[in-house]
Amino acid sequence: MVEPLSFSAIQQLIAAEEIPSRLLHYPSEVVQAVYRYGAPVGSVIHHLPQAERLMPLARQRINECEARGHSCPSGMVFSADELTGGRGRFQRSWHAPVGGLWLTLVMANTLLPESMRLYPLAAGMACCEAVRSYGLDARIKWVNDVQVAGRKICGVLCESFASAAFAEEYVLTGVGLNINNLAFPAELGATAVSMKELLGHDTDLAGFAARLLAKFSWSFGLLCFDEAQRLAADDGSGAHLPDSLLLGAWRELSDTVGRRVWFGFDVQREPQYRAEVLGLAPDGGIVLRHLESGAEVVEHSGELLYID
Amino acid sequence: MNETFDLAPLTFNLPSYIMTDEIDFDAIIGKYRSDPFDYLDVRTAHTGQVRFRVKEDAEVEGVSGEWHHVRGTLLYELLREGNQKKIFSSTNGVVSFIRSDLEGKFVEAGEKILTIRHPLKKREIIENILRQVLEPFNAPERAKYFFSLDLQAKIDKHGQRGVSIKPGDEILTMSLMKRDTPVYYAGEPGIIHSVYFQPGISIPQGEPLLGICSQEKLPMIQRIITRVKAEWE
Repeated sequence: MVEPLSFSAIQQLIAAEEIPSRLLHYPSEVVQAVYRYGAPVGSVIHHLPQAERLMPLARQRINECEARGHSCPSGMVFSADELTGGRGRFQRSWHAPVGGLWLTLVMANTLLPESMRLYPLAAGMACCEAVRSYGLDARIKWVNDVQVAGRKICGVLCESFASAAFAEEYVLTGVGLNINNLAFPAELGATAVSMKELLGHDTDLAGFAARLLAKFSWSFGLLCFDEAQRLAADDGSGAHLPDSLLLGAWRELSDTVGRRVWFGFDVQREPQYRAEVLGLAPDGGIVLRHLESGAEVVEHSGELLYID
Repeated sequence: MNETFDLAPLTFNLPSYIMTDEIDFDAIIGKYRSDPFDYLDVRTAHTGQVRFRVKEDAEVEGVSGEWHHVRGTLLYELLREGNQKKIFSSTNGVVSFIRSDLEGKFVEAGEKILTIRHPLKKREIIENILRQVLEPFNAPERAKYFFSLDLQAKIDKHGQRGVSIKPGDEILTMSLMKRDTPVYYAGEPGIIHSVYFQPGISIPQGEPLLGICSQEKLPMIQRIITRVKAEWE
C-alpha cells in the first residue's frame, strides 16, 4: 500500500538523506536551488486501491479544478494499488497488478520547449536512481526505460495536456515499477523483472514511493535549474553555454551509448534500421550511425532495442 | 561534435489564380510547362562565417534512404564562436545561384546565399497545386506524428476520404522524446484529402501534415488531379 505516502514524508527524506548525498557531488547552492525548483513534487497525493488508468483520472481532475475556478496544484500525484486497464505507448497493454508501484505525476509546465522536451529523460533518471538506491545496478535505455541486467523493471509514459478552461499546459508522467509483483504475462516473462525477484524480499511500497518522488524532485528541479543557468549565460551568441547537469547525470546512468541497436518509431512492431549509438545530443536526441549506410543521424522520437 | 542541419523541405510558391473556385487550368499547366522547376532559396540560419562546399551549376542530392536517414549534399558550413554547423540540402537539383563573393566572410542571419533549382515531378506538381486548394494543417513542432486512435479506427473503417473532421477534434498524436501530445484540429470542417506525413519520419515545424477539403470542393480537386495527370502522361 502507498497510502501512508505524504508530502511531509517526501520532504523529510529529502532533508535527511537526499540532500547530504547530493552535497557529495554538487555545490551547496546548486543543491538548494535544484530542490527549490523541484519542491512541488508530491504536493497533493491521491491514492486509490484500484483504478482503470491514472492518466485520464489526472486530466479529469485538472479540468475539475479549473471548472471550480482553481488551478490544479503542480506536483499532484495519483497512485493506485493496481490498474485494470494500464497501457503503455501505442496502446500496448501494461500489466499492473497489486505489488507494483503505479503512479502519475502532474507538473504544470513552466519550461521553454527546448527544456520541456527533456522531461522524459528526467523522469527516467528519477526512476533509475530510485531503483539503484536499493542496491540494484539499474541502467537507463534511451529514452527512459529502466532495466536491470537487460530486463525491464520500470516504464515511463509522458503526455502533454492542455487544460480545458485555462489552456494551461501540464506534463503528465506515468510510471510503472515492478516492485513486489512476481508474475508477468507469458509474453513479458523473459524481458520483465521485479525488485522482489532480484532482491529476494518485499520492499516497503510507501517508502519506495517517497524515495521515487524525492528523486523526481531532484531531476525535475535539475531541469529547471539547467534552463535558468543557460538563460543567464546566454549572450545571444549561443556559445559558452554551461553543460546540462541533467544530461550529464543521465549519461552516467545509461548503458545505451556504444550499443548496437534496432531503431524504430514503434520498434516492437516495426523495427526500422540497425545502428550503433554514438552519443546523446545536447538536445536529448540520440546520435546513431546507421549500420548499413554509415550515415549519422540524430533521432528525437522512437525506441531502441539492444542487439547485443 | 559538429552540429548538422538539414534545410527545411521545399515550399512551393504558387500563383494566386488557383485560390478561387474558378480555375484557369491553361494558366496553371502553362506555368509548369514553361518552367517545371521549383526554386529553393537557402538563407543562413544565423550569423557566422560561411564556407561553401558547392559551386554554381553543381548537382546536389536531397535527403534519402528508407527512413530519410541519409543526408543530402553538404552545401555550406557556418562557423560561429567555434561552433561549426554543416548545412545539407533537403532536395535534389542544381545550384542555380550562389553568393561566391561571401566565401569566408561573416554573414548576417537570413542572408540568401544560394538557390537550388529543383525539377518537379508530376506527383509534386499535383501536390503543389493541391496544397494551395486544400486547407493545410501544419506541424506545431518538429516531431513524429500518428493519427489518434479514434481517428485511425475511423480511417480503417471508412477510408481516409470517408472521415470528416471539425475544429476541436483530437486528430493526431505528436511524439517527441517519448512524450506524446494530443493534437487538436483547428480549421474549417472537412474531410482528410491528403496526408503528408508518414509515421516514423520526423516532420519539421510548420510543414503541412494534412490537407483538408470541404465536401463541396472535392469535385474541383478531382478535376485538377485528372487534368494534370492527363497533361503529363
